[in-house]
Amino acid sequence: MNGKHSSAHIASFYHLFAENNAEQFCRGTACFAARHTNPDRWAKTESDEQRVYCLGKCFAAPASSSDTGRPKMEVRSREPIVLGPIMDGPIRSVAAYTAQGGYRTVEHALKMPREELLGMVELSGLRGRGGAGFPAGKKWRAVAGQPASQKFVVANADEGDPGAYIDRFLVEDDPHRLIEAMSIAGYAIGGNKGYIYLRKEYPQACLVMEQALDEARRNGLLGDRILGNGFSFDIELVVGRGSYVCGEETALLNSIEGNRPEVRLRPPYPSEYGLFGKPTLINNVETFANIPWIVRNGGDAFRRLGFSNSHGTKVLSLNSLFQAPGLYEVDFGIGVRQIVEDLGGGLQTGPIKGVIIGGPLAGIIPPHLFDTRLGFEELAGIGASVGHGGVIAFDGSTSIAELIHHVFDFGAYESCGKCTPCRLGSRSVEQMFRQITGAGHVPIHEQKECVDIVSALAMTSLCGLGTGLAEFARSAMRHYAEELAPCFK
Amino acid sequence: MLQVTIDGRLHEFQQSVSILHALRSLHIDIPALCYDDRMKPFGGCRLCAVQVNRGPRPVMACDTNISGGMTIETHSPELAEWRRSLLRLLARQYPASAIQQSPDKEFHRLIRAYGLEQECSGAALPELMDDSNPYIHVDMSQCISCYRCVRICGEVQGQFVWQVWNRGDATRIRPDSGTNLRESSCVSCGACVDTCPTGALEDKSVLSLGTPTDWTRTTCAYCGTGCEMNVGTRGGQIVEIKPALDAPVNHGHLCVKGRYAFDYVRAEDRVTQPMIRSGGAWKAASWEEAIAFTAEALGRIAAQHGLSSVGVLGSARATNEENYLAQKFARVVLGTNNIDCCARVCHTPTAAAMKLMLGAGAATNSFDDIETARTILVCGANATENHPIAGARIKQAALRGARLIVIDPRKIELTQYAALHLQLRPGTNVALLNAMACTIVEENLCDLAFLKERVSGFQEFNNFIRSWSAEKAASLCGLEPAEIRAAARAYAMEKPAMCIHGLGVTEHVQGTEGVMCLVNLALLTGNIGKPGAGINPLRGQNNVQGAAHMGCDPGILTGSISLRDGHDLFSRVWRTPVPTQKGLSMLGMLDAAADGRFKALWAIGYDIYLTNANAQATRRALQRLELIVIQDMFLNETAREFGHVFLPAASSFEKTGTFMNAERRIQLVRKAIEPIGASRSDWEIICDLARAMGKGKSFSYSSPEDIWEEIRTVWNAGAGISYKRLESGGLQWPCPAEDHPGTKVLHAIAFSLGTQAALRMIEHRPPSETPNEEYPFILNTGRTLYHFNAGTMTLRTSNKLLRPRDCLDISTEDARRLESSNGKSVRICSRYGQAVLPIKIEDSVRPGELFATFHTPEVFLNNVTSPHRDNYVGTPEYKVTAVRIERA
Repeated sequence: MNGKHSSAHIASFYHLFAENNAEQFCRGTACFAARHTNPDRWAKTESDEQRVYCLGKCFAAPASSSDTGRPKMEVRSREPIVLGPIMDGPIRSVAAYTAQGGYRTVEHALKMPREELLGMVELSGLRGRGGAGFPAGKKWRAVAGQPASQKFVVANADEGDPGAYIDRFLVEDDPHRLIEAMSIAGYAIGGNKGYIYLRKEYPQACLVMEQALDEARRNGLLGDRILGNGFSFDIELVVGRGSYVCGEETALLNSIEGNRPEVRLRPPYPSEYGLFGKPTLINNVETFANIPWIVRNGGDAFRRLGFSNSHGTKVLSLNSLFQAPGLYEVDFGIGVRQIVEDLGGGLQTGPIKGVIIGGPLAGIIPPHLFDTRLGFEELAGIGASVGHGGVIAFDGSTSIAELIHHVFDFGAYESCGKCTPCRLGSRSVEQMFRQITGAGHVPIHEQKECVDIVSALAMTSLCGLGTGLAEFARSAMRHYAEELAPCFK
Repeated sequence: MLQVTIDGRLHEFQQSVSILHALRSLHIDIPALCYDDRMKPFGGCRLCAVQVNRGPRPVMACDTNISGGMTIETHSPELAEWRRSLLRLLARQYPASAIQQSPDKEFHRLIRAYGLEQECSGAALPELMDDSNPYIHVDMSQCISCYRCVRICGEVQGQFVWQVWNRGDATRIRPDSGTNLRESSCVSCGACVDTCPTGALEDKSVLSLGTPTDWTRTTCAYCGTGCEMNVGTRGGQIVEIKPALDAPVNHGHLCVKGRYAFDYVRAEDRVTQPMIRSGGAWKAASWEEAIAFTAEALGRIAAQHGLSSVGVLGSARATNEENYLAQKFARVVLGTNNIDCCARVCHTPTAAAMKLMLGAGAATNSFDDIETARTILVCGANATENHPIAGARIKQAALRGARLIVIDPRKIELTQYAALHLQLRPGTNVALLNAMACTIVEENLCDLAFLKERVSGFQEFNNFIRSWSAEKAASLCGLEPAEIRAAARAYAMEKPAMCIHGLGVTEHVQGTEGVMCLVNLALLTGNIGKPGAGINPLRGQNNVQGAAHMGCDPGILTGSISLRDGHDLFSRVWRTPVPTQKGLSMLGMLDAAADGRFKALWAIGYDIYLTNANAQATRRALQRLELIVIQDMFLNETAREFGHVFLPAASSFEKTGTFMNAERRIQLVRKAIEPIGASRSDWEIICDLARAMGKGKSFSYSSPEDIWEEIRTVWNAGAGISYKRLESGGLQWPCPAEDHPGTKVLHAIAFSLGTQAALRMIEHRPPSETPNEEYPFILNTGRTLYHFNAGTMTLRTSNKLLRPRDCLDISTEDARRLESSNGKSVRICSRYGQAVLPIKIEDSVRPGELFATFHTPEVFLNNVTSPHRDNYVGTPEYKVTAVRIERA
């Protein structure tokens, strides 16, 4: 509409908007925690002006964009729902996918009444795997209930939480499952267009997804009247340009629209007023990955898995400091100690000092709370979170002050700038801890200021970035008070 | 009824509003730095956090609605602590000097209230300052990232100048030029300054003259939109103007003219002493001398040459009261109906056509209907430049999804927002509008129920209009048949559809008939008499609607009553018989002057020489007059060349009275400063002259309100409007009684002239001039954002820096062919005269067409324009003149 205006100001929001073929060094939290295992590479990371937070290679940290390894994958759950299909390697072609029974579920679903599909997802108890844990069925139902003539399905593949590399491999190894699940969702909610918002930090995933969409289209699995049925559905791939906040659903929608990707006020929720103002269903990749299984096996079968209010399975990604880093599909209800000791086998580098589950914008779990079980409410109960399912353990070579500085440096760098506490508060705390990690301490009166800022962040931030930073800081101050005490004097 | 407990006390609310609104209605003050009623809630500053129902986290009051049973805490110790933390974060970035300089800014007051002055430790960085705009000072060291400037520019003005760059604490706000404001697409409306809670954006006038000590609410003196504003004064001088936030027309918005172009009041060349020309030179005179001189001369000439040899021109810049007196003077003192005003050269065709067809010669609807309409048809009106507030509202409506159809020979700004732009050849409106009517009839898109009940003459019209196929019109207009049909379908089907028109319809030889064609469309589709619809002229001057409506018209008395119908009433009230013979229009007076039959003219606030089309003819007529009395603020071109007496008038900031805007709204004009020098209000001058001519008894008014009370006795539709009622906002006529709320939509149940209105069969006539080998271009004329008509006011302000001169818009293709480049001066010649002006390459005009403004006397563009006139009311053809271009 306003042709006279360029979009340079929008581009300036993103840190990876320019094409860049140079090698990038990851600054993600897993790489930070493993910096002492490869100091030379970390030195390069710190001197690189182009920051990049999490390349999804936390299993071999500190990582660089040129690394090509694959993580170990293991199913420890009763049912191999999410990782099961790719245990023997990637399934990237339509032929390989259909050989495993792929696209038969959507074919079946298109013959089902929409109501039955919605009921199944509701019954399953599936909750969002992207962090918030919102019941997927409720979202589907809300969007389906909107009278609009145009609706959208969006897959959030902006797995920005440092430490998580689950969605990366679900897209890279099993792209058609996402396409199939989104098609089922489109049919169920009455939408004909989908978007996959995929982060630029996963170039291989972008390539695979693009080819998969193309092949699906050529095989009549996307486009007009898919599978010869009356239902039409197509998916567009949108590649991010470098911004953590874009993983927040409303910022993501703004980004697709070409607007500045700031968080929107809610209500209205995307289910009512989403992409281009239309009702929109947004789920993350792992959430979608459960859909074909649920449609095949029924909501009840899924509901029987897991424990408490957390049903089904969850994939966890363990960082490089563990003896056995990699992707693990587990049943909800597994204890943190089992994750750390049985799956990970403890750390290679010495005693574990603490573990962060679900990315750094959540509370740290200190060893004395390792008996907590994996569940949305159970982790929230100790100030931690399931989040994306990234598991980052750190050892004695990382001081809590360094960790706080790292996390707030990340937070301040990624803040969109819309709300005061996050824009200025995260930077203030970062600067305070920069001084602490340099000079060893700051004047005692700054401790109250720090607590006040964290409180304002927790209570008044617009989105999860600010509140997550606060949760992290509070857990650090609570569980590691003794270590932090000399920082203020 | 919603019951809400706030800080322990129970309150009741009629409806669910935001918590912030609820608190403000109770005068409970909480900080909200990113909030402004004019925009959607943003939720960025986080200061308006309140605790609701003892929930775990506070909610933002700006973005959360109250609900029944809610318990709200607004000032708990935790809230105070959070707000303090946030303000301290902002203070740390903020320069302390700014707080001392302007202590009253919203943010500065908060900093003081929370005792954080000592925390202000940001630097005032010279590289973040920008002084390039003549009115707006920018200092982004004082920016707190509330984005109010960004949002008001987008959500209210629709200009999108301010952009947010980068993210996090590196976020910066810059104009879209990437450099400075002057080079950006800024239109200097000042909305960003108005909303800025800090000193980041400030009016330069305030920085140089100081903050206002007094405020006076009044009505803008520029276009007919009728924006209300608050005039800030200090030491008897205007230092700042701000929009009235609750104004019904402008909703807290103003344009560059209304907000900033007020310096003409103190211009060095303002004439503040009466003058009489003697021996070719102007000599200062006392008021007594000037009045005596004028009275004697007028009396003598009338006695010598007859009552029809003298006449008066009322002023679209003066108040209703003053125009009422001007026509009463002509009729009672001079005994003639030779009275007219500048409506003659703009919307008299509209008034005539609508009066004839519907019974009322004024807009049927209101500006508020712009937000109700699903389709908006803008025909021959460059609203974003000439009626910027109406234009901004149209833009916002289009951005929200209203279907906008623009009929205009040029790619005006609104076309960027339009679903359809019918870029027709100038002078072919009737053909196009007939073809739209034909499509509506052919495709059975008429509103049959409405036709049956409210419209007559459909049978004959149906037969007539079917010959106007879209194909036939398309070739005449230079359009595609499909676009004509699409426009007709949208207007007829996406209802309600509102028609807004301007001088692009009326200033043509078929001006009156063009308006009739618009009325036909409204009647066929039932788009009249209901909200979001109607026929709505954008009136040019602040009080042009009022001047004509008060009776400054040779055939019409106050309230738009004919001489015959009003004779008895007016003769009784004025206690003297009203002349029965229709008088001369402004152009009739000039024609008669050229013939030697008309001898004396009193022109109030009207530069006829500069603004009339075909200036050479005007010149020949004015030269022959024995007496020209000029009443103005400046020695305008008519005065400079031909004047005999100059009577210095007060500006509208210096007097009281009322204006009538384009939507029939009467609004108060209030005195903000004393008249400069010896200048006086027009009404006082008229009364003095009447007294000097022996009619003092009929002109013994004590105040403008006194005059208004007399107007109420002769004008039934205004009888219910008192000054007292106007104190709390304007009123739209008809308002026949004191308990009548005024009328937003005319013709809802019946037309003013009866239940049914008749369709009119209008034949298209070819434009008065077509290009030929000698005159290969068609010149179109108009006005621009920064200057108002003759530029009498705006050229004496810094608007002159924003647009220094008239220029000739020409297409790239034609400029290339003429080997001309931007800024190069050329001579344009018509059959009637010539003018020299620089070229501006503009792809808003099509090859073969030219556009220029007639703001400046240096260019004097009306030397070129044509003598052709509308055949109903004589309005000049300003929009179609064949010209050639020569090297200057």
